[in-house]
Amino acid sequence: MGSVTRTKLMSVMALCAMIGLLLMPVLVAIPALASDGGAPAADAKKEGGEAKVEKGKDVYYKTEGIVSGPPAPKTTDSEKDYPRYNFESRVLLWFANQQHLYYGSFVLAVPIFCMIIEFMGVVSKDKALAKRYDQLAYDFIKISLTAYSLTAILGGILIFTFLTLYPAFFQYLSGIFRPVMHIYALMFVAESGTLYIYYYGWDKMKEGFLKWIHLSMSVVLNVIGTILMFLANSWIGFMMSPAGVDEQGRYLGNIWHVIHTALWNPLNLHRILGNMAFGGGVVAAYAAYRFLSAKTDEERAHYDWMGYIAMALGVSFLIPLPFAGYWLMREVYAYRQQMGITLMGGLLAWLFIIQATMIGILFLSTNYYLWQALGRMRGAEKYQRYIKYLVFLLTCGFLVFITPHTIVMTPAELKAMGGQQHPVLGNYGVMSAKNGGINVIITTTVLSFVWYMRGNKVSTVSWSKFGNIFMGCFFFFAYLNIIMLAVYGYYIPANVRVGLSVPQVATTLSCLFFMFALNSVMMKGAKQMGPIEWGKISARSQYALIMLATAFTWMMGLMGYIRSSVRLFWHVNEIMRDNSPWAYTHTVGFAANMISANVLFFWISIMFVFWLGALAAKKAPVEAKAAVPGRAAAPAVGH
Amino acid sequence: MIELIKAAIGMGWPALGILVGLMFYFKASISDPVANKRAVFKTFIGTIGAFLLFMAIANYKMNFFEESRLLPVSLVLITSMTFMMALYFTNISALLKIGGFMFFIAAALSGYGNWLPQVEGGFPPIEEKKDFSNMPQTELADEGEKIIFGGVGQNKVQGAIGKGQCPLCHAFHKGMLGERAPNLDGIPERAEAQLSDPRYHKGNPAARDSNQKEAFPGSGTAENAIEYIAESHSCPSCFVVAGFGVKGTNDKESPMPSIHKPPISLSIPELAAVDTWLYVREGREAPGFDEIVKSYEKFIPESDRPKPPTEGDAKPGASALMADGTEPVDQIFAKGQCVACHTIPGIAGATGTIGPKLVEGTNAPLRIKDKDYKGKAKSVPDYIMESIVEPSAYVVKGFPDNTMPKVFGQKLSAGALKKLVDYLSQVHEGKEPPKAS
Repeated sequence: MGSVTRTKLMSVMALCAMIGLLLMPVLVAIPALASDGGAPAADAKKEGGEAKVEKGKDVYYKTEGIVSGPPAPKTTDSEKDYPRYNFESRVLLWFANQQHLYYGSFVLAVPIFCMIIEFMGVVSKDKALAKRYDQLAYDFIKISLTAYSLTAILGGILIFTFLTLYPAFFQYLSGIFRPVMHIYALMFVAESGTLYIYYYGWDKMKEGFLKWIHLSMSVVLNVIGTILMFLANSWIGFMMSPAGVDEQGRYLGNIWHVIHTALWNPLNLHRILGNMAFGGGVVAAYAAYRFLSAKTDEERAHYDWMGYIAMALGVSFLIPLPFAGYWLMREVYAYRQQMGITLMGGLLAWLFIIQATMIGILFLSTNYYLWQALGRMRGAEKYQRYIKYLVFLLTCGFLVFITPHTIVMTPAELKAMGGQQHPVLGNYGVMSAKNGGINVIITTTVLSFVWYMRGNKVSTVSWSKFGNIFMGCFFFFAYLNIIMLAVYGYYIPANVRVGLSVPQVATTLSCLFFMFALNSVMMKGAKQMGPIEWGKISARSQYALIMLATAFTWMMGLMGYIRSSVRLFWHVNEIMRDNSPWAYTHTVGFAANMISANVLFFWISIMFVFWLGALAAKKAPVEAKAAVPGRAAAPAVGH
Repeated sequence: MIELIKAAIGMGWPALGILVGLMFYFKASISDPVANKRAVFKTFIGTIGAFLLFMAIANYKMNFFEESRLLPVSLVLITSMTFMMALYFTNISALLKIGGFMFFIAAALSGYGNWLPQVEGGFPPIEEKKDFSNMPQTELADEGEKIIFGGVGQNKVQGAIGKGQCPLCHAFHKGMLGERAPNLDGIPERAEAQLSDPRYHKGNPAARDSNQKEAFPGSGTAENAIEYIAESHSCPSCFVVAGFGVKGTNDKESPMPSIHKPPISLSIPELAAVDTWLYVREGREAPGFDEIVKSYEKFIPESDRPKPPTEGDAKPGASALMADGTEPVDQIFAKGQCVACHTIPGIAGATGTIGPKLVEGTNAPLRIKDKDYKGKAKSVPDYIMESIVEPSAYVVKGFPDNTMPKVFGQKLSAGALKKLVDYLSQVHEGKEPPKAS
């Protein structure tokens, strides 16, 4: 048997092993799930229906089920239920949880990036570019591998924190999820196994059929990672909107009901998109760090390119994120109206003002980076003179987006202003204006991207003049439509107004999809005014990437806090009450300080991970270094 | 500021000492004058940087649990430190600048969060044992207003909300916007009219188009206005006012939770108080307490009725709480009788001299460092908490032990204790005390 055939065989076997790892937890789970749901019923039948089987009604699904677990414990403010360690237990848990989440998000997002970038490399016809993509994907997975170990350690710390600080609560929750606990553990083993096979098989499966096998491995790896995340999400979904239990919190034997709660699906989608945008931000920050500390032009070129790709991937997931958030909020309102009001119009409303500011910062940073990036293209000067108009649009959208509707005031201030709302600015605090604001911001970002993509090119298609006029008109009418709908919203009742967000979002998405598509067609075979001079970008642009990454990390911390706080004094909403001395909601200021501390700890620790990665790169043999395509001086022509 | 500098030196003196020592060592040992100057200068910059870092840590430590909003100052200090270091340590300049920039962003966002109005969610309401059955109607209506809005006379205050959480969705006055749920202005009169709504199907629940036909099998429908209100509270989905159903259900399901169940869990007497207020505030005679209770019993089966708190259910001492934490801090001091023995700056009438003057922002750090201190506290808030719940952990010199009662840990709720700690930790000798209410 030839060595090539043997390698092929080994690769196929490795892929099969990965699929096996993926299926193993499912296969193990099926009989367990079947017996779990059926056991009490079977027992009842055995006794000929004479035995008294207690039934309960599902709090969410309203179906009947056989009581299969103890009720939620009624905790008291005591050492037994809430042990004390001379520090606020909730803050300790907050810290442990947030760090685990940051790392978890990162290691789940990076393999998705790798899959996309590796795929881009495989399908690219330009061999040099294909190699660069491949090396980039490899660099990404290398970073995530070190972070993976840290994630596991932090997961252990989190469980330890739960057990020591909130034993009664953890015991109840793990009791409810017992039927899938082993699946979770097995999925984790499967994730580790596949990740190592994928990483260490990189060099062995570089070409042809083997490369496709390797790419398939990344798909399997991501499927496992996604299932793992969905299972983790089911815990928080259950805590916010419990299902599968009766009013006393007793498990009713249907684990699917427990997992598939009212908020599970929107949480899943929101987290996937959020993880991707976050992962993009972290990798972009890494690239920015390497760019700023680079000693040679080659290094600068490589990390400039890496930063751009990471930013573009991150932002492409950031754009749909507000829409996913909108769906989540809608489901929250549908589940419990008062929960939605506590979030958007009650106790936690100020945190949403911060969130609006953060979203604005993210989009402003992205746009600023793209405008700076125009500077490394010859021929892009023609667009730079129009940037001031984009700044104007973004600023207007941003200011409207962050204006609060009502603010807490003293009676004297209230009297001076003549009411809860400011006579002029108050008009911008309503949803109608805000929808307009955010859609203007996103549409402007799309326009910046379009300009960037055609920066150094001149279309050669015969209808280019018509195409340009059409694009200009499309954007103009898109802005007009968004703003007109926002104004129209003031003249119609609220329940009708809510529906206006649909055409506004549709307008923004039309710009995104149609204009990107049209631009690509127009730029096919376009005349190049000059190459993209990778590495010839201002240092300020790299700080924009760092701003993007830090702001995203902060926003993740903020949104996690909001999501968790909305339960108020419930461990499990309406089922298990929090009777600890910390069953109150912190002030906005305290939360902001805590989020900053978490963000900075994460960045200091991930810098350490980056440093470890850099150490490994330094130790690589000289031949291997020479083969690193990303470090080649060859300029890439594509974006 | 002086305190901060002292705390920074107290915390970082070994490291600072080593750096200063190194500076002298370089000065004495490096013969090349250029290298000598560079090494000494860099160590000097490093010492300043380290000092700023310790100041930042000390500030974080001192203000962690306080409402002083000074924590972002720590981040600004670190930002300054990293940018200053980046100027002179060029080999790690990029790392320092990036770090400094991140700290700057975090400081800006933290500062923004601290600049916004500080809204804090209180502790869950304490279950009070009150006998509503023998109250006169006006008093019962007042209790109802408290449940709905959090206090008597609060019904016109925007944002006022009580245990019942009703104003989250309902408006209560003519002309007020209630988009999520019907405006309850004129409800006693309207309730009567709703019974003749063709969708209500009085006496024939099976004909209703709602997802839930009856509150429980056999409960039937309301026969009069007060029963209609009781049914709306206990089974909101039995009849949904047109236009206020869950989106997509065509008014077959209500978004309102059953008020006698979690998360609101009002008892039947509490619901009677609420209904009484709905009548009385419109100048109408409300049905009697027993009649209202009977209406609710028609729609809430025995097994679902929230049990009023009993002595057995309550945790030790909870039934006799001096303060539950919903009161302003000066009232908590008054209810706890602290004012009788202590002088507390900023608290009216707190001029007692049996116990020490409570300027804990100044005193607590000194006492923790006292060689006779045997308690466990490591911060100002911890010390104050310890002094309240375990007064003998440290007895201030000149005052006798066992004078202060040791029951405050049980007699004050966690929320009340937190308010006392927050207030006292901000009282400093010679400084303006914080606002008490």
